[in-house]
Amino acid sequence: MNKTTRRGYALIPVIIAFLAGAVLLVYMFVVHGAAWSSNRANSHLFTAGRLSTAGTIFDTRGKTLAQTQNGRRVFSDSRSVRKATLHIVGDPLGMISTGAHAAYKSRLSGYNLVDGIYSIQKYGRGNDLTLAVSADACVAAWNALSGYNGTVGVFNYKTGALVCSVSAPSFDVNDPPSDPEKLDGVYLNRLFSGVYTPGSTMKIVTALSALENIPDIATRTFTCNGRMRVGGSEVVCMGTHGEIGFQAALNKSCNCAFAQIALLLGKEKLSATARELAFNTPIKTDGIQLAVSSLKLQNASELELAWAGVGQYETLVNPCHLMMIVGAIANGGQGVQPQVIRSMQSPSGVTVYRAITRNSSISISAGYAQTLQKILRSNVTEQYGDNRFPNLQMCGKTGTAELDGKTSHSWFVGFSQRADLPLAVVVVAENAGYGSGVAMNTANAVMQSLLQNKIQ
Amino acid sequence: MASMDRPISRDVPAPDAARTAPRRKPFRWGWMLLLITMFQVFSFFPVAFAGGELNETLGMVFGIYILAEWFYLFLAHIITQRDDFPLEILAFFLSGIGLTICASIHETYAVKQAIAIGLGVLSFAVLTFLLRSTERAMFLRMPLAVAAVGLLVLNLLLAKTTNGALNWISLGSFSFQPSELVKVAFIFVGAATLEKLTATRSLTKYVIFSIGCVGALFLMRDFGAALIFFFTFIIIAFMRSGDFRTLILISAGALMGAILIIYFKPYVANRFATYRHIWEYVNDKGFQQTRVLIYSASGGLLGLGVGNGKLRNVFAASTDLVFGMVCEEMGLLLGILILFVFAFVAVYAVRGARKSSSTFYSIAAVSAAGMLLFQLALNVFGITDLLPMTGVTLPFISRGGTSLICAWSLFAFIKSVSFNIGDVKPYRGRRRKG
Repeated sequence: MNKTTRRGYALIPVIIAFLAGAVLLVYMFVVHGAAWSSNRANSHLFTAGRLSTAGTIFDTRGKTLAQTQNGRRVFSDSRSVRKATLHIVGDPLGMISTGAHAAYKSRLSGYNLVDGIYSIQKYGRGNDLTLAVSADACVAAWNALSGYNGTVGVFNYKTGALVCSVSAPSFDVNDPPSDPEKLDGVYLNRLFSGVYTPGSTMKIVTALSALENIPDIATRTFTCNGRMRVGGSEVVCMGTHGEIGFQAALNKSCNCAFAQIALLLGKEKLSATARELAFNTPIKTDGIQLAVSSLKLQNASELELAWAGVGQYETLVNPCHLMMIVGAIANGGQGVQPQVIRSMQSPSGVTVYRAITRNSSISISAGYAQTLQKILRSNVTEQYGDNRFPNLQMCGKTGTAELDGKTSHSWFVGFSQRADLPLAVVVVAENAGYGSGVAMNTANAVMQSLLQNKIQ
Repeated sequence: MASMDRPISRDVPAPDAARTAPRRKPFRWGWMLLLITMFQVFSFFPVAFAGGELNETLGMVFGIYILAEWFYLFLAHIITQRDDFPLEILAFFLSGIGLTICASIHETYAVKQAIAIGLGVLSFAVLTFLLRSTERAMFLRMPLAVAAVGLLVLNLLLAKTTNGALNWISLGSFSFQPSELVKVAFIFVGAATLEKLTATRSLTKYVIFSIGCVGALFLMRDFGAALIFFFTFIIIAFMRSGDFRTLILISAGALMGAILIIYFKPYVANRFATYRHIWEYVNDKGFQQTRVLIYSASGGLLGLGVGNGKLRNVFAASTDLVFGMVCEEMGLLLGILILFVFAFVAVYAVRGARKSSSTFYSIAAVSAAGMLLFQLALNVFGITDLLPMTGVTLPFISRGGTSLICAWSLFAFIKSVSFNIGDVKPYRGRRRKG
């Protein structure tokens, strides 16, 4: 009898397995609860797949960008604001995956582990999000792009606040296109999810690598005859610059000089600098995954290495990433993460989240950063003209990404050195020609708007 | 009840003193029930007043329920002169949660569920009485086995298809699930047969009986129930023989059988195709599981309040998916508490089995607790995609009469380990006392 009764202990492992299952279940809810509760099938929040009940989204100045009224999502009254902020605010169907409506849906629902989405029950809405963007700046950027596809991003290189994010093509969320297929990548926020050939903006990376690896780079000179033979073919320059120094080479964006610098550096050293600057590395900022910038030189020939040095090889750069790199230079070497959200308020009015500055993985030694600041400033003063950026104390670099058989993409990346305007900007205008054209004008327009409205 | 008080007969070997001494921990059932009652008032109140004013039917159902549990335990205390009723109190606690959920859906459900709980308590009381005499139990095992197999055969003949399983019998407006009643018989027959340690003939009979039950359930396509029976069979067989090797052989055989079935009847495998892939089938085969996760997460730890959930609009919400409803509306904390209650009951059974006055009780209690725990795991982990979904009910809480009666009856088996030696009339084979 004793034996039989003791056999009941065989149930103990079953009980332990059962309890382990219970623990696993709780663990699953802790880890996935936010994602599960903000699934599009949740009819507490979504009506026929459209987000219907959620918090209000404000711009940095408290302008309402989106809110719920009578169980429907209502957006800004201004059509130009709706179009300019579409990609950062997102659409109720969540087609724009990096938009706040998709990327922050669990925050907008007010979900937390303890209460679930009880705030929807109690207040009819979730947390309110105040974004870092300025609607005015976005509209200024949108208008300045003047119909070109592309993107404009501006962020505070000291705090990280992303004060402008525009992507074109866009559409009016109140009047969505019947056939979105017609608009190429309309759901893509090109600032976060796009990658482009960098053109001459890549010379910033090559220049940094030169500073790091060639001690006497500042005093060296290069010869430019308008073209340069490399490995049986040639690199072509936009001009014939003759004997040219390092700084002047960047001012004039001399391809011959930078091709020579790239060859001097070699694949390994240029790759090492790119690695430092987080090329080929996934970057996640404020919950948003950026498209990865890629620079892969392992199998590059001499010629290809030379072209890579001037930004024309297979290199692809994400605009937000390039803005972060330039921001790190502006900030004296230490990069910060762009912040989409400025703050979050619970429905009861309590601020439950406030953006804090986070360093990014991009870090340059302070001395090189200072040198690059000077050179990038001289680009504006010596080459583009300070009058292109009135009152901005602008530093920057244009880029013209040459494409086979199409008009080039126009790039501008830079930053202001005004103490009251610590902002870095990136502009890509697709098929808009030289960087000194549309891109530079757009950069100026958006920076002027931000200066005027005193937004940082 | 006179037989209970009869002194133990001399020809039974006297158990050692430590085990005969009644170990009565002071257990204040009143306080515990008060705690449970407070919880029930707290959860019943908003449901009864959901429409803004008191729904009289629901008020009555809840009132009677609370009065009835106090009356029952008070009566049991007077009759048995005992203080410990943890199983009864936990069963009332769990049944109350199910009643709350039912009441929040429709008052007819509440009335039906309350009646079912009443029948469950009655079955519990009757079964407890029957089990006090092992002789009575031995006498009943054959008729019960015949009745159980008869029920399943009847089921196969009359069954209506519900959700792909043929496990319901409808008699007019009343429908019941025979497999639930057979669960009770299965343990009763198993424990009673095997108590007679020497008779291999009776073991063979039980094996045939088990194969009959599991086979019938397979024919009904009620794989969940078939699994539960098989698991329970393993427990009973182990308690009986203590032989791991035989059990491994049996399990291997069953596994091979399962593989053959899946090979020849691919639709069986199809039913489990969504397992671990529910998010790829959000709007078809994974509909129920994904909704359980979405809405349970929406409820958080504390829940949205009874009646405020959305899972209730999903098919089978108050039956198979009721754990999700509890989580969404009453909170994950309560859901976890329910799991712990069953785990506690299983531990209670195992500990009790060690000290029980008869192997019959030990086997019955451990196998009943194992059956409940296994069914609970299939249900809760099935609808949350930790295990394949098999469509079994959550004991005590799922809406449905037969399931409730079964759960209460299984608790009677577990209760049996607490019978004192002095209370029990021992079974001594076919020899008549004279």
